[in-house]
Amino acid sequence: MSKTYQFLLLSLILLLITSCEGPDTPINIENPVSYEFVRNGESTVSFGGQTDRISMGQELIEAMLNFETTESDLLEMYSNQTASGDDANPYSSAALNESTKSVKSKVAASEDFFSSNTVESAKIKADIESWIIAQVIEVFPNQNQLAAPGIAGQIADGSSARYVNGQGLEYNQAVNKSLIGALMVDQMLNNYLGTAVLDAADNIINNDEEMVEDGQAYTSMEHKWDEAFGYIFGGEGNDYSNPLTTLGGDSFLNKYLLRVEDDADFTGIASDIFEALKFGRAAIVAKDYDVRDAQADIIKDKVSEVIAIRAVYYLQQGKIALENNDFGAGFHDLSEGFGFIYSLRFLRDTNNNSAYFGEEEVSSFIDQLTNGNGFWDVDSATLDQMSEAIAAKFEFTVAQAAN
Amino acid sequence: MLKKVYFILLTVILIASCVETPGEGTSMLTDNFDRKEMLEFWAEEIILPAFSNYQDYLTSLSDQATVFYSDPSLNSLESFRSSWLEAYLAWQEVSMFEIGKAEEIGLRNFTNIYPADPELIFDNINSGNNFNLDLPSNFPAQGFPALDYLLFGSADTDLNIIDVINTPETMEYVVTLIDRLNTLTSEVQSDWELSFKDEFINNSGSSGTASTDKMVNDFLFYYEKFLRAAKVGMPAGVFSGNIETNLVEGKYSGVYSKQLLQRGFSSVQDFFNGVSFDGQATGNSLSQYLTDIHISNNTDFDFSESINVQWDVATESISDLQDNFQNQIIEDNNKMLTVYDELNKAVRILKVDMMQALNIQVDFVDADGD
Repeated sequence: MSKTYQFLLLSLILLLITSCEGPDTPINIENPVSYEFVRNGESTVSFGGQTDRISMGQELIEAMLNFETTESDLLEMYSNQTASGDDANPYSSAALNESTKSVKSKVAASEDFFSSNTVESAKIKADIESWIIAQVIEVFPNQNQLAAPGIAGQIADGSSARYVNGQGLEYNQAVNKSLIGALMVDQMLNNYLGTAVLDAADNIINNDEEMVEDGQAYTSMEHKWDEAFGYIFGGEGNDYSNPLTTLGGDSFLNKYLLRVEDDADFTGIASDIFEALKFGRAAIVAKDYDVRDAQADIIKDKVSEVIAIRAVYYLQQGKIALENNDFGAGFHDLSEGFGFIYSLRFLRDTNNNSAYFGEEEVSSFIDQLTNGNGFWDVDSATLDQMSEAIAAKFEFTVAQAAN
Repeated sequence: MLKKVYFILLTVILIASCVETPGEGTSMLTDNFDRKEMLEFWAEEIILPAFSNYQDYLTSLSDQATVFYSDPSLNSLESFRSSWLEAYLAWQEVSMFEIGKAEEIGLRNFTNIYPADPELIFDNINSGNNFNLDLPSNFPAQGFPALDYLLFGSADTDLNIIDVINTPETMEYVVTLIDRLNTLTSEVQSDWELSFKDEFINNSGSSGTASTDKMVNDFLFYYEKFLRAAKVGMPAGVFSGNIETNLVEGKYSGVYSKQLLQRGFSSVQDFFNGVSFDGQATGNSLSQYLTDIHISNNTDFDFSESINVQWDVATESISDLQDNFQNQIIEDNNKMLTVYDELNKAVRILKVDMMQALNIQVDFVDADGD
């Protein structure tokens, strides 16, 4: 047997061996079938605050298309308090009105990214607020105008009417899709799944000793993890214990997880995220924090990918529509794309333990989209360059994301 | 010996992982078909005659409105309604040609968006002429569906309908709607005659912006969205899971929904098979194109045959339906679902097999619905 043959044979054997090895699963932690965890017969799973915020966001984005709504109504839905800081009751749901939570307080408010970066946090909160106000000031008065470059109004997307600003942007889409990053993704990846929050104070000792929070069935660490879970699988419309059966149950992160899952290039991503959330939670119960953190990294990678894929998807869809002179459809795609691009700021690169996109990089994308008359002017080359720049940081291609 | 087996195995693995699969959508087929001749036939023998026929029926619709308003009676209402139906049927023969000026102005949106919105219609009527029919939000307040509502559904009896539509404001609105259909259509028609026809025929290449590629996409889009989905699938609840009587085309007149579908579907088949508008001649169209590709490349299938065979099955299933689709979906929705299934089976052949054979890229995507 020649040296070459020996080498090839050895490579083959190695190949066979490595491909037969299973995933790196410590045998002592079992990944349960559903997201159900109990202590002394009582469920320890809790994410009511996340469910509330998702519902508040839902009411806000719907109200942005109700032309009867006033600026202060919308701002109260954003901050759940009056302009003077008093308790407000802006929602149609009584339970939400009773809640002391709010959307705004958790926008760009993660421990990892914004606790020492309050200047940017304040700017992001204000950006979203400015779009809410502009909807009332710029778009509502032009309800019965045809949109044109520089003029807010209606534009046809298929047989439906979309309402855009003078640059072709639908502010309701900007708010909806930007919240996915600024609220859901930021809280999930940069707050609750980070060790700064999971291991804060005596969380590790308490979890090791199963010291539950006052009057609750869960330890602090368990609860933090559930709060991450709640932002993706905890909407009203979701069956949290088996959430893969109810994907698309809200208008935020959950819905776009479904969209990416439905793209044959990425099928399986929803299950990857769910499995990691479940397994990480089981690891907390088993007090194995290395396994927990490995799962957190998987979740950060995959959720970041979901947002980046959708950003590229909408840029490419918008490009095709504009090339066909279908401005209404193109503007709608780019309005959604605008929000997903804004959301890029909150994605988490686990290789470098940092943000994938800095503040300036995202601002420059947004500037390119909103230059001059915005979507009326933007050209295919710009949309392609942006798509490539986004995809280059991930393992997917523009072509895979585009359909 | 064993060594040899390993080596072969290894080689196979390595080769298998290196073989490139051909990229999708790149046709290797020989194509000698004369696209220009096909475009000429489409324009001169199908599209222009269909628009001119439609325009004639719109003119008589205007005339019948005048007759009705000069002497409102059960008789003149009857004639008014039949000329509405004739024009609506003639529309089914041009709806798929949303290209050129029709595409630019969005002719279909202003002509046949249903269900109509009665509340919006009356808001407009009572607004003291303060409405803008160019607005997308007014799509459901105009065109044939709005007239369907006003002429057939605006009151419980025919005599009461006459009372409703015979007020000065309503009369003005009805006349405005009919005038608008006339104006938009003549704009499209004269654009074809003055300039677009030559542009359409001469743009005979093969690229995303060439006439054939665009027209085939428009044809497919019409078939998928406006025939299969809007006329059949949506009322039958294919997408929502519940039957939606409100979404039936011509829901206020009721009994014409089947006729409208049949006219639309036969126009689709005639266009595909190159049957001239007057039915007297056959020319080159998609069917001939597919057969040509099949013969010159000696491929396994002639897709024009598979499509026509499938459409015959669909035609048969449509003939099983009642005239009134609202009754049909309430009484036996399975028959409606069957029609959808049969129409849908052709989508795959059209959208995948035909498009690949003709080397045309699909230029539209399913909107994600939000």
